[in-house]
Amino acid sequence: MIFNFSMSGSDLLLMLPEMLLTVWLCVVLIVDFAMPRLPKDRLAYLSVGGLAAVLLNLAWFDRAGITGVLFNNMFVVDRLAIFFKIFIVGATALVVLMSIDYVRRFRFFKGEYYFLVLMSALGMMFMASANDLLSMFITLEFSTFGFYVLVAYLRDEVASNEAGLKFFILGVFVAGLLAYGISLVFGETGKLVFSDIASAKATPGLIVGFLLIFAALGFKIGAVPFHSWIPDTYHGAPTPVTAFLSIAPKGAAFAILLRMFFVSLATFKPAWVLLLVGASILSMTYGNIVAIAQKNIKRLLAYSGIAQIGNVLIGLAAGTKMGGDAILYYLLTYLFANLGAFAVVIAVGNQIQSDEIEDYSGLNRRSPFLAFAMIMFLLSLAGVPPLAGFLGKLYIFVAAMNEGLYTLIVVGLVNIVISMYYYLIVVKKMYINEPTDPSPLTVSTPMQAVIYVSLAGTVILGIYPQPFIDWVVSAGMMFSQFVAPAAVAVPPSIPPFGG
Amino acid sequence: MGQYALLYILFAPFVGAIALLFVSNRKAMAVRLIAAAAAGVSLLASFYLFFAFDSDKGGYQFIQRFEWSKELGIAFYLGVDGIGAPLVLASSILLFAGVFVSWHIKDRTKEFYIVLLVLAAATIGVFMSLDLFFLYFFYEMSVLPMYLLLGLWGSHTKRYLEMTDPEGLKKRDSVAFLFNFGSNSKEYAAMKLTLFLSAGAILALLGILLIYKFSGLHTFDILVLREQAQFSGPLANLIWLLIFFGFASIAPIWPLHSWSPVGHAAAPAATSMLHAGVLMKLGHFSIIRVAYEILPETTRDLMPIAAVLCVFSIIYGGFVAFYAKDTKYVIGYSSSSHMGYVFLGMAALDYISLSGAVLYMFAHAMATGMLFAMAGWVYDQTHTRDIPSLGGLVNRMPFVAGCFLIACMASIGMPGTVNFIAEVMILVGSWNKYPLQVFVAVVGIVLTMAYLFRMMRGVFYGPMDAHYSHAHDAVSMVDRMPLLLMITCSITFGLFPGHFYKVIRAGTDPLVSRITQVTPLTAENRETLNVNRETKVVGDVSQALLASGGASRLAPHASRGSE
Repeated sequence: MIFNFSMSGSDLLLMLPEMLLTVWLCVVLIVDFAMPRLPKDRLAYLSVGGLAAVLLNLAWFDRAGITGVLFNNMFVVDRLAIFFKIFIVGATALVVLMSIDYVRRFRFFKGEYYFLVLMSALGMMFMASANDLLSMFITLEFSTFGFYVLVAYLRDEVASNEAGLKFFILGVFVAGLLAYGISLVFGETGKLVFSDIASAKATPGLIVGFLLIFAALGFKIGAVPFHSWIPDTYHGAPTPVTAFLSIAPKGAAFAILLRMFFVSLATFKPAWVLLLVGASILSMTYGNIVAIAQKNIKRLLAYSGIAQIGNVLIGLAAGTKMGGDAILYYLLTYLFANLGAFAVVIAVGNQIQSDEIEDYSGLNRRSPFLAFAMIMFLLSLAGVPPLAGFLGKLYIFVAAMNEGLYTLIVVGLVNIVISMYYYLIVVKKMYINEPTDPSPLTVSTPMQAVIYVSLAGTVILGIYPQPFIDWVVSAGMMFSQFVAPAAVAVPPSIPPFGG
Repeated sequence: MGQYALLYILFAPFVGAIALLFVSNRKAMAVRLIAAAAAGVSLLASFYLFFAFDSDKGGYQFIQRFEWSKELGIAFYLGVDGIGAPLVLASSILLFAGVFVSWHIKDRTKEFYIVLLVLAAATIGVFMSLDLFFLYFFYEMSVLPMYLLLGLWGSHTKRYLEMTDPEGLKKRDSVAFLFNFGSNSKEYAAMKLTLFLSAGAILALLGILLIYKFSGLHTFDILVLREQAQFSGPLANLIWLLIFFGFASIAPIWPLHSWSPVGHAAAPAATSMLHAGVLMKLGHFSIIRVAYEILPETTRDLMPIAAVLCVFSIIYGGFVAFYAKDTKYVIGYSSSSHMGYVFLGMAALDYISLSGAVLYMFAHAMATGMLFAMAGWVYDQTHTRDIPSLGGLVNRMPFVAGCFLIACMASIGMPGTVNFIAEVMILVGSWNKYPLQVFVAVVGIVLTMAYLFRMMRGVFYGPMDAHYSHAHDAVSMVDRMPLLLMITCSITFGLFPGHFYKVIRAGTDPLVSRITQVTPLTAENRETLNVNRETKVVGDVSQALLASGGASRLAPHASRGSE
């Protein structure tokens, strides 16, 4: 294998969004040091400005259809990567906006918070482009690195420290699994790039290797049985970090999962369908049933997130282009509904200093806007029309139906009813119960902006989906060439390099 | 406006709801007027729709179609036939009446009207959807507002209010109370209703997805599926059962009815009206629209299930209503009992009986709307629904008592009301096929008379408790208008049913002829099954085909049983 690093300026253009963000996070850090008296809110707006520039850049890439590969296929820019980058950068911008009030509560390192968030976003953008096993490992660890710090940001709180420690220990353990899996796969095939591995034969080592990689990615997305870190970490972490953690890394991990399952493992589909069906059923059922018992809204959203990931896995199990498109659409609806719900949790938590569901009693009387927004987000998560979540679920079910995954569909449908129960319990607290403290709640402007954007997304994706469906269909164009090829040419055996 | 009538009817309430979002909650009168205006636009447009419906032309009219998603094969496709048009009319009448019935709601007026308008618009949407996706979309959309309506503005039962914990405190919101099946708190009712209906809805959704997949047409378009989809064997039976029981749970057919009286009882008056008046008809309508249209052969095979279950609905509902002590429970169980008549009319698959069933849906919407409106009025005045503790209110509210009598008469099916025509059509149309059920239905009418008059006596006559002396009558036009509107509709269409009948026949005729003429009768099975006698009685070709078809399916089972 020859490594050839010669490249032109126009090749580097493909990395323009990442380079822009890299420069920008340095700018944020320097401004923070250079102007210590600058209110930290300004840093947030500065970060959002940078993210907006990156977003514009990505939109241009998407519209102009700029695609290509760099570094011997390690780094790929295709429609799928651009989709996930837009997803990640958009989520990050919303998270930064909803952090502004919360960051005031920190005693130290207010400026570095934004730097760390941007750094994680940068890592996840690379994840979206990762196209071989090595870049997958590096980008995954790079993005998680920022989160280790962010989760434990509330230094004085035991819960936050505990969350950080749990996340770190499990994360490092999973990194070990991932590295071991990669080494096995590489040992068996001698290849790193996803599309090259596609032609490999199923040997025990390869199977174990991919199972280990799946475990590591399952940890990132929080699918059962790799979910054990989720509730405590979500609970203990600062709420904006929880919001960030609940959406952006999952999106980035799905970028890799899609590439892995739809490209590398396309020929082994009959073998992995069962694995995904199992993980999906377990995630949905476990997440929804345990969520019923939760008393803390963050834990409730954590478990509901596990269940939602189970739904997304249905699309992966379908293993078709439509399944891939449905995953992208579902993640979009989940982005708005979940971030919106967390925005409300932050807005409420900032004022009543509590995340207990009991303290949401009578929220409708204290802030009709927050209660209304929350009900929309929760019902979208539950999959109630006309909100986005319904179409997301239906899209996934239709994709699974076309593949004949009836068990999954039945389990998924039953889970809709189960999930409705605990979402409605929150609705009941907010609307039916009377508040113990009737003082009205106010919502700051950036928070309002986040909630309005999320509301708009939740409603528009539900009632006017065609432009977004077109978008995900074009983003998923790469699936169509790989999924279930009729015949796979047996490649000539290439000795591992060096030998 | 003409061809856009459906859009006006459907979107006026939605626009009203969105407009209300921007009105301050303190301007209660502005809120009410906006809601009334939205409902009024919808009502006028539905009257136009109903009278402009061309019954000679038949088929689906006022069609609106917009591509929604090509990838999924979904179009926003609206249109009404002779079955949808009367139900759209019933929905908007009840919405308009409901806005006025709820005129005196003080708690969170704005939110109430928003949710009420969304509920009504969603039900209207089901009645005009020609796309399976949107049918389900609006169907599920109508379930969730019920949760808020019941939970926020509903009322508890007497038994619940008396419940205390050992220290004598009322702990209404504890989890234990929520799960206490005897308590019937409004929270319990709301949750039960929502989960029950959602569970039913996902059964139907599974059926719809199976139709989507196995039709192989990659579309949710009902008209395309009707023409081109072919289903047979166990798959068709499975889909039909999923669709039937999924939608019948809202209808509600026995034994899936248990959410319904609890929900009716807890709901505020306007919600009960819409709920019993039109929401329950979503079930029948969706069965007709999906199962009858797309799976005609299976419908013919399996509809006897409904004919069996409707007997239990009629008798069980009637007896429970007779022994219930709560005004809204009586009306709620009477509704579930009366929905059995609709199932009977549908099961007989006869021109007359199916038309009767559709007419009965409209008639029942008017009658039960009146009853719930007045039960709500009595509750607002006395703050109790407990029949034994009420009495003698006729002196305090003569107008309401008079209307109540008319509503009872309509509910029983007195000649002169539209209910009478509908009932007679169902009974006459079903007689050939299900004489036993018709007999039961007649007993059910007697039961209806018994429990309604018993309630009437308990509430309005006899000695009056002194502390109800402050109760007053519906005096203002705002309070009287909804009752008068529904009475007028009930009696006018009862006296002049011509256009109504033609509209419905325009919808049901193609359906019945399609379902009953599917398998031709062969000479052999006519002889072996000895259906000549029945044929003579029927004297109608389609009926004869139907009868022999029914018998031939029963035959293998019978022979197996004798071996």
